[in-house]
Amino acid sequence: MSEKKSFKNALNDCLNEAVAKDDSIVLVSADSGPNSGFKEFITDHPEKYFECGIAETAAESLCSGLATTGLTPIFCAPSPFSVGRAYEFFRIDLGYMRQNVKIIGRNCGFSYNDLGPTHYGLDDIALVNEIPEVMILAPQDADEMEHCFKAMLEHKGPVYMRVHNNSLVVPEEKREFDINKAVIYEEGEDIAIISTGNETEFVWKALDEIKAAGVKPTVIGIHTLSPIDKDAIRLAAKTGKVVTVEEHFANGGLGSIVANVLAEECPAKLRKIAVPNIYCTSGPYDELSHLYGLDPEGIAKTVIEFAKE
Amino acid sequence: MDKNEIKQLKITAYEMRKKVIRMCDAHQAGHLGGAFSCIDMVAALYFHTMNVNPQDPKMEDRDRFILSAGHKCLAQYSALCQKGFFPEELLDTYGCLNCKMPGHPDMKKLPGIEANTGALGHGMSIACGMALGLRLQGKKSRVFTILGDGELAEGTNWEGAAIAAHYHLDNLLAVVDNNGLQIGGDVTKLMNYSPIDEHFKGFGWAVKTIDGHNMEEIVDALDSMPFEKGKPSLIVMKTVKGKGVSFAENVAKYHFWVPGPGELEQAYKENEEELEAIRNE
Repeated sequence: MSEKKSFKNALNDCLNEAVAKDDSIVLVSADSGPNSGFKEFITDHPEKYFECGIAETAAESLCSGLATTGLTPIFCAPSPFSVGRAYEFFRIDLGYMRQNVKIIGRNCGFSYNDLGPTHYGLDDIALVNEIPEVMILAPQDADEMEHCFKAMLEHKGPVYMRVHNNSLVVPEEKREFDINKAVIYEEGEDIAIISTGNETEFVWKALDEIKAAGVKPTVIGIHTLSPIDKDAIRLAAKTGKVVTVEEHFANGGLGSIVANVLAEECPAKLRKIAVPNIYCTSGPYDELSHLYGLDPEGIAKTVIEFAKE
Repeated sequence: MDKNEIKQLKITAYEMRKKVIRMCDAHQAGHLGGAFSCIDMVAALYFHTMNVNPQDPKMEDRDRFILSAGHKCLAQYSALCQKGFFPEELLDTYGCLNCKMPGHPDMKKLPGIEANTGALGHGMSIACGMALGLRLQGKKSRVFTILGDGELAEGTNWEGAAIAAHYHLDNLLAVVDNNGLQIGGDVTKLMNYSPIDEHFKGFGWAVKTIDGHNMEEIVDALDSMPFEKGKPSLIVMKTVKGKGVSFAENVAKYHFWVPGPGELEQAYKENEEELEAIRNE
């Protein structure tokens, strides 16, 4: 699994493939189009590219208006701005109006590791998940990006897809994909690891160490956070211990979504590997990831210790 | 403009006012002040200017109306009812549980509503998106929106104003209902966004200022859209908050009316008298 694809190239390829089949797609930008990897679309379809300047709020209202005329707007911007800054406009103009608009929150988590909390997207899952009827996606590899992009467009209604800056692994083998089903990578009896988005790659990297310590985990990847696949969480709960892994605050993200299902339906012990609810610091990405235990070493340590408690 | 049509529009506007009073009567409350300042314009839009069809509310080539200042929705509800989008009996359900006419418009509940407004500062950019989308698809439909003057303090209006001018949206007409009062009092004392006309001109809009209760001026302005080819059009409409009910006129507290003793009766009586006066003109 060594081959990688940048998220920009992945988005570009997905959009070009989609546009060839769907005449309704238009692209909205808040000075964020080229940096989202959409240079080809902007060049090839200038009449369908609407630049708003640095104005994410107006951009999302504009998307809503465009969608009412039958078009399918895609708006991609850094997640703190496409979600946090424009939140009321997302909630009302896209959510409450149930518009067929696709919001891509790129550079989520602490992708912008050296830019600090103004540019971190650590609350986007929590915020969007409070808006009724919005599908939330977080692809875990390059193939899933393609599947999620297609599913995002096939779904008639608002969709939020969070995308990390890290390059995406290109899997050596194609897997079957169901937008409503989590990916069960492995089944074990000692503990379950549930991850989402970019963190799933780090879980894979942690597995050798975890297994070498004699721990047999169930390994589950979540590309669709809403609606959540409860069956996958029920499967995880059978081990009695569940670890969630996400580059998001511990409150309101994958860990909280899993916790709700466990508490209501299938009690199991839960440990969240996530970013604490602080204004977390900046620095080299690998060091930040290590600081919060989100790197393969940190994941392995937490899983092994928890499994042996 | 035919004098009889002007007279009929004035009658329609006062019949709509009566429906607003009826809804406030049913619920014993409602946003009266702003509804009555913009209602003459709303009447002209629905009964003179816009191509809408109550038998086919989603008609493809319809014109769009977005009430950005969504709390003025009693004016729009009364217009939709008067136009035949829904039966009059529905007016008496205003404020009831699950009613089709909430305190702010909901496009999924009532035919003829194009956007869920109420949170201020949304309508302008939604209207821009509609105008862009319609133009991209070669439609001749036009987009109309009404903003409150107090609403202009929401910065997103100015993002939308820039977008409309940048994209030369001459299929868009915005109206600022300049009644001078918001819930907290005098708009200019709370936050002064005047001169409204000059600000919009600065963004690249073509602007007209009219008396928002003079039906001839309203119709003339609407008929001249676009005011300039390649520019969005703005009407700054000088109005009286609560226009049509003497005790509510220019009084900020009637922004939201909870009828006091005798007020409903007086409102109905004054409405009938004004209707009679217009009919006898």
